[in-house]
Amino acid sequence: MTQPGILELLSFGPGGWGNILLAGATMTILIALSGYATGAVIGVFGAWAKVRGGPATRLAADVYTTVLRGIPDLLVIYLLYFGGSAAISAIGHFFGAEGFIGFPGFLAGMLAVGITSGAQHTEVFRGAFRAVHPGEIEAAIACGMPRWLRFRRIVAPLTLRHALPGLGNVWQVVLKESALVSITGVAELLRQSQIAAGSTGLPFDFYLIAGGIYLAISTVSSAVLHRAEHHFSRGVRRS
Amino acid sequence: MSSSVAPVAISVRDIHKSFGPIEVLKGISLDAREGEVVSILGSSGSGKSTLLRCINMLETPDRGAVTVAGETIEMLAAANGKSRPKDRAQVDRIRSRLGMVFQSFNLWSHKTVLENVIEAPIHVQKRPRAECIEEAEALLAKVGIAAKRNHYPAHLSGGQQQRAAIARALAMRPAVMLFDEPTSALDPELVGEVLRVMRSLAEEGRTMLVVTHEMGFARDVSSRVIFLHQGQIEEDGRPEDVFGNAKSERFRRFIKA
Repeated sequence: MTQPGILELLSFGPGGWGNILLAGATMTILIALSGYATGAVIGVFGAWAKVRGGPATRLAADVYTTVLRGIPDLLVIYLLYFGGSAAISAIGHFFGAEGFIGFPGFLAGMLAVGITSGAQHTEVFRGAFRAVHPGEIEAAIACGMPRWLRFRRIVAPLTLRHALPGLGNVWQVVLKESALVSITGVAELLRQSQIAAGSTGLPFDFYLIAGGIYLAISTVSSAVLHRAEHHFSRGVRRS
Repeated sequence: MSSSVAPVAISVRDIHKSFGPIEVLKGISLDAREGEVVSILGSSGSGKSTLLRCINMLETPDRGAVTVAGETIEMLAAANGKSRPKDRAQVDRIRSRLGMVFQSFNLWSHKTVLENVIEAPIHVQKRPRAECIEEAEALLAKVGIAAKRNHYPAHLSGGQQQRAAIARALAMRPAVMLFDEPTSALDPELVGEVLRVMRSLAEEGRTMLVVTHEMGFARDVSSRVIFLHQGQIEEDGRPEDVFGNAKSERFRRFIKA
């Protein structure tokens, strides 16, 4: 038996793994995007709590970022997936259901990535907000802008200008972290490559291909982030 | 005196303000009639900037009342004995009638000069965009920076930034203009262009409260001069009276320094 070439491995026809890897890559992007978005929402509230909150709110936000940045991401996934399944099973038993009820892997992955990246988002947004010149916010207050308008038109764009480089780093971390979700059985890129490697006996080829796909995704997203940085740093004088 | 018949544009009653144990304003009352240009002088720490910031509630006064164009900002007594505004929407509405010019310009750095000027008229006052742009361009021409309309603030000199900030404040069609040391952050050679714009506003009959160190402006342009010392008004009168014949020894020393 001759070794199949890389193009045959990647073909979309019968015997090729193209469809499966493409589906895996799509799932990886979905987990990363949904987790990242969840983390960004958590980050906005976390940063708000740290900047504007009272002592109790600030303490809660500090505990959250300290704990989540101090424990392994894999542990969070275990906690959410297995802990979540145990909790759902217990609730199910209470209502008369039997056996093990699984917590949806995708949801567990999205939440785990969201909660861990949320801690980093919080710090990125907080630092970026601190870098905004307070006078620009004061000028918005002084001309009678209500809070939400002020946030939308002035505070958010000025904060994003300082946050984008940090947000880019968080995205790269989230993309790689999404591979950890493969342990819950979600058919993302790493999981699909494992399956392909196992059933063809070609681990080296498939893991290399997976690595190439991860690299392609992060390269494209870097380019997008670079454009966003350019957009939000309009008006900044380059020395 | 013609100003005595004009209606009161802004009225400040018994304003008190402390920062921690330091009482910065000890009961300031002041009325400005329409068309009056009031220069507020005082050494640093006299409370003059705090007074201006209490008028548009950038600082919440502990006690006292502010009335703009007949509307008094409603205050509530808070638990700690200090007051706070009752209705945020009312404060925002009154702020939109007060054009504030800051020492450090505070233009929005992510918007061009023109975008800075049309921002609040469009989004706060909800006026039609085309009308706002037309008016903004007229204002920028008036302050002499029409050519810079599409530049970002970072590419302007301090004097140009401050003139853009004045145009931004004027675009709200304010009842009263508040100037908080508008020339103090400028290089000496740029002070003149900003003072010229302020003088032209005074000549067209704008009501202005100006916290300043510019004695020439206070003497020649303002219709009234107030001297603050340790949170209280120590001199209040027409510039020719105050500068020529001050009752306060401290003020005489202040203008000599």
